[in-house]
Amino acid sequence: MKLSAARTVASREAPGRLGPLWTFLFRYGPPRWTEYVLKNWSGQRLVIALPYLWLLVFFLVPFLIVLKISFAEFSPLGRPPYEPVFRWLEEGALQIKLLIGSYQYLLNEPLYVSSWMYSIKVAFFSTVFCLMLGYPMAYAISRSTPTYRNVFLMLIILPFWTSFLLRVYAWIGLLKNDGVINNMLMAMGFIDEPLAMMNTSFAVYIGIVYSYLPFMILPLYSNLEKHDNTLLEAASDLGAGPIKAFMRITLPLSMPGVIAGSLLVFIPAVGEYVIPSLLGRADQLMIARLLSDEFFLNRDWPKASAVAIAMLLLLVVPIMLFQHFQNKELEAQKR
Amino acid sequence: MQTAERSVDKNKIKAEPWRDPHAEGYVRIENITKKFGDFTAVNNVSLKVYKGEIFCLLGGSGCGKSTLLRMMAGFESPTSGAIYLDGQDMADVPPYERPVNMMFQSYALFPHMTVEKNIAFGLEQEKGLSKSEIATRVTDILDIVKLREFAVRKPHQLSGGQRQRVALARALVKRPKLLLLDEPLGALDKKLREATQFELINIQEQLGVTFIVVTHDQEEAMTLATRIGVMNRGEIVQIGTPTEIYEFPQNKFVADFIGSVNMFEGTMVEDLPDHVRIKSDELGATIYVDHGISAAPGAIVYTAIRPEKINLLRAPPENQAENCAKGVVKEIAYMGDMSIYLVKIESGKTVRVTLPNVERLSDDERILWDETVWLTWHASSPVVVTQ
Repeated sequence: MKLSAARTVASREAPGRLGPLWTFLFRYGPPRWTEYVLKNWSGQRLVIALPYLWLLVFFLVPFLIVLKISFAEFSPLGRPPYEPVFRWLEEGALQIKLLIGSYQYLLNEPLYVSSWMYSIKVAFFSTVFCLMLGYPMAYAISRSTPTYRNVFLMLIILPFWTSFLLRVYAWIGLLKNDGVINNMLMAMGFIDEPLAMMNTSFAVYIGIVYSYLPFMILPLYSNLEKHDNTLLEAASDLGAGPIKAFMRITLPLSMPGVIAGSLLVFIPAVGEYVIPSLLGRADQLMIARLLSDEFFLNRDWPKASAVAIAMLLLLVVPIMLFQHFQNKELEAQKR
Repeated sequence: MQTAERSVDKNKIKAEPWRDPHAEGYVRIENITKKFGDFTAVNNVSLKVYKGEIFCLLGGSGCGKSTLLRMMAGFESPTSGAIYLDGQDMADVPPYERPVNMMFQSYALFPHMTVEKNIAFGLEQEKGLSKSEIATRVTDILDIVKLREFAVRKPHQLSGGQRQRVALARALVKRPKLLLLDEPLGALDKKLREATQFELINIQEQLGVTFIVVTHDQEEAMTLATRIGVMNRGEIVQIGTPTEIYEFPQNKFVADFIGSVNMFEGTMVEDLPDHVRIKSDELGATIYVDHGISAAPGAIVYTAIRPEKINLLRAPPENQAENCAKGVVKEIAYMGDMSIYLVKIESGKTVRVTLPNVERLSDDERILWDETVWLTWHASSPVVVTQ
């Protein structure tokens, strides 16, 4: 309704010489299309369609391209370096050539299996450390007075204002042999030789836990903050001391937050590239590093794609779990 | 055995232990004060509650009744004063060690536990209770609150009334010495509330637990309570049985707060042991009260007359100059069982009168708008308060 009103006003005020053009544009041009969409599509459908369109163009289509490449044959000299999967033959037939060689290679090559296991291990323990550090912090924040709460949350979010890469580089300065920590410990006389912290798994854990801690704290906080304090009073009233009340009431009720936070740490940690490359061991690579090496050093696009697809499939399970629990929490909030 | 106990408890209630000056209070609250910063939530309250009583703390929001209850449960510690339960000082006893249970206004059911688990929670915290013992006590209490078939449901799958009964069962299953109920029926609709009120009384008589109920709903207090303590601004302004509170309010606040009332300001003109006369300009007549009150002649007093104790007459009453006022009906509200009339008397004040609808009257028999009427009441009806 509003649109058509705007149109008549605009066409009436249109300058004389361009008058017919304006009229034409308003009658048949983009405003008309918008009006058609608004009139015939319900707003709800439009709102839903947009993110779906986004996902289709920027996630599904690239995924299908990668999937296709993963089944292609590697041709080191080709540009791009793989044989086409689909090809029109001269007799008018469509030739589809799918090779599963890249996937077989993944399973049989011990390097891939071991880096995959290493990635899972690092991600898992990083998640555990994040949880152990993050839960008390989130709990404390949710229990503090509103003023302090905002300050604490600000402090949690503040590191995001600096580049992620810079923060990881900063850790090099702290951890290396003549870095801040070693120099300080030596100056204070605790150690004589610098501790070898750089290029160890320890450094990788430090980097990942440090970088991903906010992703653990924030969902936990948003869960804990909603807890009804009268539940704890009720538990106390029924004879449960503070520790028991925490174990039986707070902890189970915070499980959705624990799971959301853990998956938010675990999933990106498995595919972490920057931190292990900068801080980690040279002899034990994580899967993402292997993928990038395969892609950029070996130019073996099919194998790199196969690694990517395998990673995706192996992470789909935790991602789906995450979605499931998130939905559950959303439903619980509605009540 | 149980029946014997029950009748003993009933006899005790009938005996009205609060009339006995030597009776030891089961719950004794002595000069309790609670301050939040500059704000005094509870101001020097002393109170005795006897075993087997249902004691109601009644008052508007912010009068300190909930704070008082929370101090008994142990969630707040008093600024000064002491609470004794069964002779034991509760000052240093944390809430989880008090033989007191509370039913929360919001019920505070654990959302992640089934009804059964909610109720068993309190028992699991007690030492020396076997699993089978817990199970029997849970099923027993579920039978009492009639929730057996809902044992494995989660709280969000229950209706408001069912949740309320779970909360009650969870508090009762611990067999506390004292049960505190914070607005127990607040969230229920009227019908359910009435049914539950009587259920509560039944359960209380069955189990013989002492109840302290906090409510802002006077109807609830009236039905449940053996005695009511009316609170205003952190102080208890009157303690008495429901009848005493309603019929003999000791001050203006109680008279005004409990039920609806017509209040007339006046001056005492005649003060004799068997009757008093009060001249009220607000009424435009003299009020004759057939019982003596303690106030100095010439003092300003307030006369409270309940709407249901006033009669409406269409003709002026004969030989009656006192306890009578002429007025015009301004509003009529038909409530079904009774009707409310707002009558503007000659002095300009509006008086509220309720009459039961005993007969079904046709429109010309009924008192109608703008009719001139005379208000009269019996000399025993007015209550005179001085403050």
